Amino acid sequence: MTAAQPNAGPTPTGPVGQARPTPTGPVGPAVPRPIPLPPGRRQTELLMLIFAIGVVLAAYAATGLGLNGRLPAGIAGYGVAFAALMLAAHFAVRRLAPWADPLLLPLAALLNGLGIVMIYRLQQSGRHGNPGVRISTISSTTVFYQVIWSAIGIAAFVAVLLLVRETRVLQRYTYTLGAAGLVLLMIPALLPASLSEIQGAKVWITVGGFSIQPGEFAKLALAVFFAGYLVAKRDVLALAGKRVLGIDLPRARDLGPVLICWVASLLILIFETDIGTSAIFFGLFVSMIYIATQRTSWLLIGVGLFLAGAYAASKLSSHVTERFDIWLHPFAGNNATHSAYQLVQGLEGMAYGGILGSGLGHGQPYFTPLAQSDFIISAFGEELGLTGLMAILIIFALIVQRGLRAAVGVRDPFAKLLAGGLSFVLALQVFVIVGGVTGLIPLTGITTPFMSQGGSSLVSSWALIGLLMRVSDTARRPAPQPIQDEGMTQIVRVSG
Amino acid sequence: MNRALLRLSLACLGMFVLLLVNVNYVQAFRTTSLADAKGNVRVFNQQFKYQRGSIKAGSKTIAASHLVKGNSGNYQRYYPDPEVYAPITGYSEPFGRTGLEEAENSMLSGTDPKLTVHNLVSLVTGHSRQGGTVYTTVVPGVQQAAYAALKAEGRESGVVALDPKTGAILAMASFPSFDPNKYVTLTGKKLERVDKALQLAPGHPLLNHTTQLTYPPGSSFKVITSSAALSQGKVAGPQSTVPAPTQLKLGSKALINDGGEACGDGHPQLIFAFTLSCNTAFGLLGQKVTGPVLHDYANKFGFNNSKLTIPLPVTPSVFPPVTDPAFTAYQAIGQFSDRVTPLQEAMIAATIANGGTMMKPYLVKEVQAPDLSPVLTTTPQELGSPISPTVASQLTQMMVSVTNNPAGTAYATANQNVAGVEIAGKTGTAQNGINNTNLDDAVFTCFAPASNPVIAVGVIVKGGGFGADAAAPIAVKVIQEYLREKGMLP
Repeated sequence: MTAAQPNAGPTPTGPVGQARPTPTGPVGPAVPRPIPLPPGRRQTELLMLIFAIGVVLAAYAATGLGLNGRLPAGIAGYGVAFAALMLAAHFAVRRLAPWADPLLLPLAALLNGLGIVMIYRLQQSGRHGNPGVRISTISSTTVFYQVIWSAIGIAAFVAVLLLVRETRVLQRYTYTLGAAGLVLLMIPALLPASLSEIQGAKVWITVGGFSIQPGEFAKLALAVFFAGYLVAKRDVLALAGKRVLGIDLPRARDLGPVLICWVASLLILIFETDIGTSAIFFGLFVSMIYIATQRTSWLLIGVGLFLAGAYAASKLSSHVTERFDIWLHPFAGNNATHSAYQLVQGLEGMAYGGILGSGLGHGQPYFTPLAQSDFIISAFGEELGLTGLMAILIIFALIVQRGLRAAVGVRDPFAKLLAGGLSFVLALQVFVIVGGVTGLIPLTGITTPFMSQGGSSLVSSWALIGLLMRVSDTARRPAPQPIQDEGMTQIVRVSG
Repeated sequence: MNRALLRLSLACLGMFVLLLVNVNYVQAFRTTSLADAKGNVRVFNQQFKYQRGSIKAGSKTIAASHLVKGNSGNYQRYYPDPEVYAPITGYSEPFGRTGLEEAENSMLSGTDPKLTVHNLVSLVTGHSRQGGTVYTTVVPGVQQAAYAALKAEGRESGVVALDPKTGAILAMASFPSFDPNKYVTLTGKKLERVDKALQLAPGHPLLNHTTQLTYPPGSSFKVITSSAALSQGKVAGPQSTVPAPTQLKLGSKALINDGGEACGDGHPQLIFAFTLSCNTAFGLLGQKVTGPVLHDYANKFGFNNSKLTIPLPVTPSVFPPVTDPAFTAYQAIGQFSDRVTPLQEAMIAATIANGGTMMKPYLVKEVQAPDLSPVLTTTPQELGSPISPTVASQLTQMMVSVTNNPAGTAYATANQNVAGVEIAGKTGTAQNGINNTNLDDAVFTCFAPASNPVIAVGVIVKGGGFGADAAAPIAVKVIQEYLREKGMLP
């Protein structure tokens, strides 16, 4: 054959990648040819969810066997309750977000379930004839309440899917939610310490022995606000000002919102003595402004401002200074038995667990204060070892990755910003608490999403998953089918 | 916006990678330093959660762990024959250990790398960690006889019996001793009280008198002076005559023989001077050998060796380097600042008995994993050959004379009719204290049977007086018990 010889096949008529082939059938009445819908992947989700439930139940059984050689008494009750909750969430997703990412729900369910198992293990310590030391900060109803909070969390997850059928519904409430977020953030600062301070962090609202952390919900509200605000103002913010050293500096007047957020986060730091929450809010805002403008200058300005603020705070506040000292010198002087006691116990627990861990029920995590909340990661490190802890971190990383994938896939800039910001803030929160507990960065008392004991964090984390799944559903939903063959008119998906 | 999202994803990836690297650092690389951190409560608690290995002497268990009654699941240490074996086992308490409990801790606790495979297997099979069993070289009957003899004498003392051919320690008794079971308590206050009382008790009961304390060797050092002189040709043989005046002027002082007596006709044979332990003869002999050479021979016999472990650490016996002839004369008869451990005395006798070759003393014969497979077996090790077989046989002849010749210093207490076996020995009666005002320390170094040595013994009794009276009978009892066990004595 020579090159000059024409091709035997039909000559391509349309552009490469055309959505539909030109109909080649006999001319006649137009018959709509449905494009096969992309799979919703709900079967995958169900399978993965059943696997996650199985892992959780096995861990629960292993805990009882590890503690006293018997299966836990409540395994049927808790097992059925947990499985029913997660399956309910799955069936809600089938109805409300059929194209949503199939991994998000099983991953979150696994973390939630493992958290309950670890809290159960810690609650049993020293109780009912089990070995170990009774933990004074855990009562005999802690696990029960954690399961109740999980149910409320799932309810919040379903509610988000139900109420936010389209992400743009939220855009309507940009400023309302912004105001609500700020109010939620400020409440603990304004309340007297007796109603808002637990262990040095003034981030609570305590009413009748019942405490919630409004900051956890403020995080979601402000993410929506930032997304709405930035979608409206991104062009202004992206306008180039002067160019210095290859970096486009924004105009001075556009710095306003960044400065307001910076001041707000510093105020949180000062009035609520909570560097972790402050870092997360500022990180949320800076990451979202970066997504909106794609301008590195905003990132540099944000990080610079935060570091300056943190440095100033470390000079001004004894609380922050002490945190740095604990981080840098946990074993110096009498730190290990006083200020750094908790961190040192956590680290020694993780070292005791080593690579394979002591096994659930076989370790001594009860020596670490607050092993059920701030330090639940070190309790996992001790009993499940490096192996288990890496698995947990990778589960978190997968959730973040699925969230960011949804952000990349969705076209609507508001949804894109929201999913990107929420995913990033989840990663940041895991980094701040796990990094703090493992001695990578100064320790700040924030919760480990899905795992720590306490309702606010659990409910807000589930709501966050709800939002990510809504965005992901939007991103993966196939384009509407043409009702009839409209000839040359085609619906073409444009990537955002 | 996707470009920014992509970069943000990379930032998230970076954060998770940092976390993963850091938890790897903490849980895989920093475990040892964190486990060793002061006050690590988990490691502290863990020591009660597994069965620590036993220590055995022959078939007799001398230290073991057993479950405490009740359901705490904690193990407790137990020492069945505490005082007899305390200098060997030491004690193991929550905050510290001594003796073999310390020296073999990694084996007993099961943390030694040699036991790692066994621990991995038990991890897989669901068994809890168990320590290895340490088999000592100690012969229970001999150890019992040794301790009983020291206790009967009732003074601060120590005795070591060695197998001269291998260096295996057959007995190692120390008096006064202590009860290591008293350290088996979880009450910090009680522990402190027990420890304080024993620290302050007279006679250092917590110390192993055979390895941790040194005493002046006295005339027993004449064995080394003779070895040096014979090896260097300063004297031709045991039958050669040596000058032995009644007095030896050393500067402003004069060295005299015991009781100021003459040594024969003033020119006795070397063997005669040795048998009577004439100070002037050996003072002059030492000067003839010269200080540095004598120091060299002392070192060859194991003095000034700070590295010896059996595996208990051994306090070095001291022979300081001296060039002044006056001091050399004193050193040659085991005075001045010479110091020895009872173990060193036993090693000197064992070297002569073994034809001039010194074997490294050892206390641990074998370590077995929990599944009874051996993880460590000690093979006898030579420390060196300070003298030739000829010189060794000459010294044997001289040492036999000490117990066999009716004029010998140990004739009354260790001759063949008394002991039932021909013993080769040398007595020492060490003056000590300021101006020699303290009671003399009694020293005896010997081996038996002289013709075919199977046991070498070193004894020191602090304040025991004349060496032959206090120390020799103890050695005889130890030798007799061992020979009886070997069927060499009825």
